[in-house]
Amino acid sequence: MVEFDRSAFISKFQEEAQDLLQRLNEDVIALEADPDSREILDRMLRDAHTLKGSSRMVGLLEISDIAHRLEDIMVKVASKEMPYTQPMSDYFFEALDAILYLADNGGKNADDLLDLEALQAKLTAAATGPQEQADAPPTAPVQQAPPSEDEPEKVATIEQQDEQSEAEDDQASENGTCVEVKRDDKLQAKVQQTIRVKTSQVDRLLNLISEVVISQIKEEQKLVELRQGVGELHQIWQTWVRIKAHLTSLDLDDEAMAILVEESSRMDAQLADRRRDQAALLKNFNEDIARASMVVADLQEQGMRIRMLPVSTVFQTFPRAMRDLARSFKKDVDLVIEGGDTELDKKVLEEINDPLIHIMRNAVDHGIEPLEQRIAAGKPPTGTIKMTAHQEGDRIVIEVADDGAGIDPAKVRAAAVRKGYISQNEAAAMSDREATYLIFERGFSTSSIITEISGRGVGMDVVREFIVEKLKGSLDVTTELGKGSVFRLTMPLTLAIIRALLLRVGDQVFALPTSSIEETLRVTPDEIISAEGREVIRRQRRTVPLVRLGDVLGVAHRGHEGKKIPIATIGFSGHRIGFIVDALVGEQQIVIKPLGSHLRKIDNVAGVTVLGAGEIVPILNVPDLMDWARSRSRQSHVAAEEKTRTGPPKVLICEDSFTTRELERSIFEAAGYEVEVAMDGAMGLARLQEGLKVDAVVTDVQMPNMTGFELTRAIKADPTLTRIPVIIVTSLERDEEKAEGVEAGADAYITKSVFNQDTLLDTVERLIR
Amino acid sequence: MRQPSPTGNDVWADEVAATLRKRAESLAHEGVDEVTGVLVGLLLFRLGEEWYAVRVEDVREIYREYEITAIPCTPASILGVVNIRGEMVSVTDIAKLMGLGQFVPGSVTAPAVVIQNTEVVTAIVVDEIGDIIEVAEENIEPPLSIIDRVNAQFIVGSVYHHERLVGIVNANSVLVPIGSAK
Repeated sequence: MVEFDRSAFISKFQEEAQDLLQRLNEDVIALEADPDSREILDRMLRDAHTLKGSSRMVGLLEISDIAHRLEDIMVKVASKEMPYTQPMSDYFFEALDAILYLADNGGKNADDLLDLEALQAKLTAAATGPQEQADAPPTAPVQQAPPSEDEPEKVATIEQQDEQSEAEDDQASENGTCVEVKRDDKLQAKVQQTIRVKTSQVDRLLNLISEVVISQIKEEQKLVELRQGVGELHQIWQTWVRIKAHLTSLDLDDEAMAILVEESSRMDAQLADRRRDQAALLKNFNEDIARASMVVADLQEQGMRIRMLPVSTVFQTFPRAMRDLARSFKKDVDLVIEGGDTELDKKVLEEINDPLIHIMRNAVDHGIEPLEQRIAAGKPPTGTIKMTAHQEGDRIVIEVADDGAGIDPAKVRAAAVRKGYISQNEAAAMSDREATYLIFERGFSTSSIITEISGRGVGMDVVREFIVEKLKGSLDVTTELGKGSVFRLTMPLTLAIIRALLLRVGDQVFALPTSSIEETLRVTPDEIISAEGREVIRRQRRTVPLVRLGDVLGVAHRGHEGKKIPIATIGFSGHRIGFIVDALVGEQQIVIKPLGSHLRKIDNVAGVTVLGAGEIVPILNVPDLMDWARSRSRQSHVAAEEKTRTGPPKVLICEDSFTTRELERSIFEAAGYEVEVAMDGAMGLARLQEGLKVDAVVTDVQMPNMTGFELTRAIKADPTLTRIPVIIVTSLERDEEKAEGVEAGADAYITKSVFNQDTLLDTVERLIR
Repeated sequence: MRQPSPTGNDVWADEVAATLRKRAESLAHEGVDEVTGVLVGLLLFRLGEEWYAVRVEDVREIYREYEITAIPCTPASILGVVNIRGEMVSVTDIAKLMGLGQFVPGSVTAPAVVIQNTEVVTAIVVDEIGDIIEVAEENIEPPLSIIDRVNAQFIVGSVYHHERLVGIVNANSVLVPIGSAK
């Protein structure tokens, strides 16, 4: 297992501690003015408690000790066991300063600057009550700040001290109060190192930076125009020189010639001036632009960097998560993490935790084989999951590799056919690689049964959709049977800038994230085939349906130029669709901007970008597009299916325990279900056979007359009932029993130890959908 | 571009007349009332033949030169977005939203009033910007549903200004996020 690294958490703790200490300091002052304020007392108690807990979590025991004593005092004061007295404030301040000092120094009492023992003795004395407090040991001579009224003020002004006061401090140190001074020094340095800024403020800043970038691009375009202007001026000059040469050959009288010579020399002078001025202007402008573009590029990079954090901030929590996962699946798994210092946009970081956990869970559940199988296959008994992060150009790649069984394309094909995603013929025509990608199909799971940990609700499809939609990235899988699988998550370095293909429909230009485009092509009209009322093209032995992008977006097409029809094909969730456009404009980096506070979620549009010329271009949302395009072809089918179910869904609960039965009944009724109950399997089966129509059966296993397993088998064996999903809820949680449930044909298996109403409802809802 | 207001239904004519009389009376006392009451600042704007207003505290700025970019798959009342100093702001066809007809594309010079609450910002396109006036709160009357053709939810009240009936638009009913349910 990976060593638990506390350092990342210590910096988090320091941030938290700063806030807590700040508030505690303020509250001590407030409490002096209002010693009976319940609100302040409670908050101080809470803050001291939090400080104690979190410092202990990160292993800063000295801080924890002090905070613990502060908490003791607060408990007594808050419970009115003893009154709050003035000297307590002094102890508090001293203790808070000590904690701050310790926190800033990573918990180390550097150079033994603090007399912690004396401090703790004082605090203990204060906590034991007023009597003892009076006899509290006299304050230690050096470390003790004089119990003065201006102490709070000092705390408050530390942050504002400038270099001048530092000089004063140096002087003061010579007078013997060195401890106090050094401590302040330390605080000051800390304050200058980091500041906390609201992310919304950073976003606003980045927004403005991208505006600057855009106007810089505009300036550069102006430079090009100016350069052209200078070129044209030069041509005018040359023309003029030629005209002048012809002038001398003109047959004119002297007077006219004199005028002409005078005018032409004036023209000479004017043109020369103009050329010189323009050249100088161009040179200056050119230099300014060059300088500005360096600054702007720097500004952009530094701006983006503000939001960058190492991925280890997310990875840190994974060893623990992995341990829990491995335990719940009863497997031995090592997690290896590499590249934790790769930096990533904070926004991306916030979003990748859940998808990564899910991929890990998937790897433990489906990837790593049970122990016996591993041994039989000659593999090390402990499975390894390796998580690596690295940067590739302007993208970040995170790979989750397991050394498990790999994904069997044959099994995936079979499961996809069984669930009706593809036909037998389609399955046969698919390459192994294509078949593997079926795991990203909506609602897909090779696991033939739902257990509480995997295969329920969230599948790889959701993970992939999330990555594509939210992170503008992609998720790919490579697998080798018997050797393991690698899930490869590719994301843009920041969410603010992505590569996109610009395409035109009608008069409007749209941007499509490059990460989801499979290919762009131009086909002749005769390459388009009509099949089952739809237009398709053949690509690499696969049929790719075509959709006019304008139809999805509600924008009128104007037609393409030339003979060939431009198409961009998108691959998503194992499906490929070709979108017909009017023109493929080109690929470029774009800055993503949200649509604004009013348009929160618009179908098919993920945001907008502003091009160099100030033109706003909508960025298309790939999952939405694919949904629209696919639902178009299935509309009639779905409509027919939905009509068959009317009224609230109905479940049959077979359970011999009265308590459990009524508990389940209330859960379902609260969720709007109609509920029928049966005391055992036999009774349940009888009711079903009498013609009771339900959408799902929820059954216990151990029941008189007929067990849940027997009931499941009977339902699945009866052709009129076999379509009803059966959910087994039981306290039997050994693998053999689960296996029996699977073998009986149950659709889901929920153990009572993890039973909660969401699990139950989610599972049932998913199955009856 | 918009139909003139249809006259009131006969059945309601008396009631309308009575209300109008009441309004006329209150108008006559306007000068007196203004001194005593709480003043409300209103920005007037014209939609077709009619005048409306929003409270000045809901107004962020007025925008005159802009280029709207249409966004596909938005409701018909959304004309698109504009770039205001790097911030994308939706452009709402308030006439369409309130059921008054439609903003005529092509009249790109129509000014836009940027209104906002704590959550949402949008620019409403109007035909003409009028004065900013102050009226006493007690002079604001409940909307007259028979006269005001506008969908009642958008109008919080009405007030007379220079012998014109001005409907006061409830900014919060316009500033509803779109697609937030999903």
